[in-house]
Amino acid sequence: MDKKKIARVTSFRYQILALIFILLAGGLVLLPKYQKQEGIKSEALLSHATSPERYISTDQIANKIINKDPSFILIDVREEESFKNYSLPNAINIPLAKLFDEESLPYLNQSQFDVVFFSNDHFYADQAWMLCNRRGFKNLRVLNGGLNTWFTTIINPEKPSQDMPAEAFELYATRKASSMYFGVFYPDQQAVAEESISNTPAPKKVITVQKKKKKPVEGGC
Amino acid sequence: MGPLIPNGLIPMEWDSIIAIIIGIAFGFVLEASGFSSSRKLAGVFYGYDFAVLKVFFTAAAVSVIGIYYMDYLGYLDINQLYVHPTYLWAAIIGGIIMGIGFVAGGFCPGTSLCAVAIGKLDAWVYVGGIMIGVFVFSELYSFFEPIYNGYFLGNITLVDSFGWNPYWVIFIFSIIAIVAFVVSDVVRKKVKKVFYS
Repeated sequence: MDKKKIARVTSFRYQILALIFILLAGGLVLLPKYQKQEGIKSEALLSHATSPERYISTDQIANKIINKDPSFILIDVREEESFKNYSLPNAINIPLAKLFDEESLPYLNQSQFDVVFFSNDHFYADQAWMLCNRRGFKNLRVLNGGLNTWFTTIINPEKPSQDMPAEAFELYATRKASSMYFGVFYPDQQAVAEESISNTPAPKKVITVQKKKKKPVEGGC
Repeated sequence: MGPLIPNGLIPMEWDSIIAIIIGIAFGFVLEASGFSSSRKLAGVFYGYDFAVLKVFFTAAAVSVIGIYYMDYLGYLDINQLYVHPTYLWAAIIGGIIMGIGFVAGGFCPGTSLCAVAIGKLDAWVYVGGIMIGVFVFSELYSFFEPIYNGYFLGNITLVDSFGWNPYWVIFIFSIIAIVAFVVSDVVRKKVKKVFYS
């Protein structure tokens, strides 16, 4: 009796399977839809935001530029006018308002280069960083302090006072050297240059002096 | 949560090992269900056996339904799945060539290797043909290159490029599948039976 029942049911097995199949597919259509969160998860965003890799210092970036490091691109998120006025060497201007334009995406949405955002302070750059991070772009950094810090550290480094540690003097020397690379001219730089100029013909002068010394001796004879 | 490997739940180094295990399982299932017989595959074109159509259609439909349910429940992110890039004309021409090879030889590349493994002579010839084809293609690569690399459309899907609602697409696709199964059954009953091992 039971076997007959089972046999009757199993003779419809293909129809039953097809029905389940259609029901499952139809269930997808009927399910209430909800707005899915796009981009990366909030936990991942938080871990990116607290990561020490988020900021890059002006010294690091100066070092990279001087060593012609090809692994990063600088993105200036200020307005075009300020960009034309002054910017870092080889920087690309993508104003914050045009961040997600068609032509700026190839620079931001790639994995070959580190992207370094900067603005006058790091306020706008941070916003660009956050927006791009939400979209899931990779290798994003922010220039810590932006161009203002760039000026106070690299272009016009503060001279350490006498009571400061030796590291401060070393740092000052490095910063001064890098500022020279970026075209800053120091008065003592000229002095050094003049000294070096006066040093090179010095042997000749010494010789002439020796000759001068000899001459009076000769004259004496 | 998923996909498991891109999200680091399974380390990347396991890739090849998992691929080998899936490959062995796939080959075993193909062989066990008789797909290593060229008659079974050619049966789709002559109308006496629609197992291939049913199996692959069901596999596609079941997996797409499963993936979208998992996406809905948050176990899998569909946007992270790999979408094979489309080279339009290369795909069309390659599809035609593969279709001709399919009906003429009675194997697709996967099942031909299964049949080689169980020692079918026609499969050996078929795989030899594949090797010759690969050789000819490689030799004439510079001639084929514009088609091979051209008409590149990116990693597109039907849903994205036409802006369709994926859920309706799946529903209609499932209905088409059921209709295709019913029609193929009707055809199979009308066509003269062919017996083979």
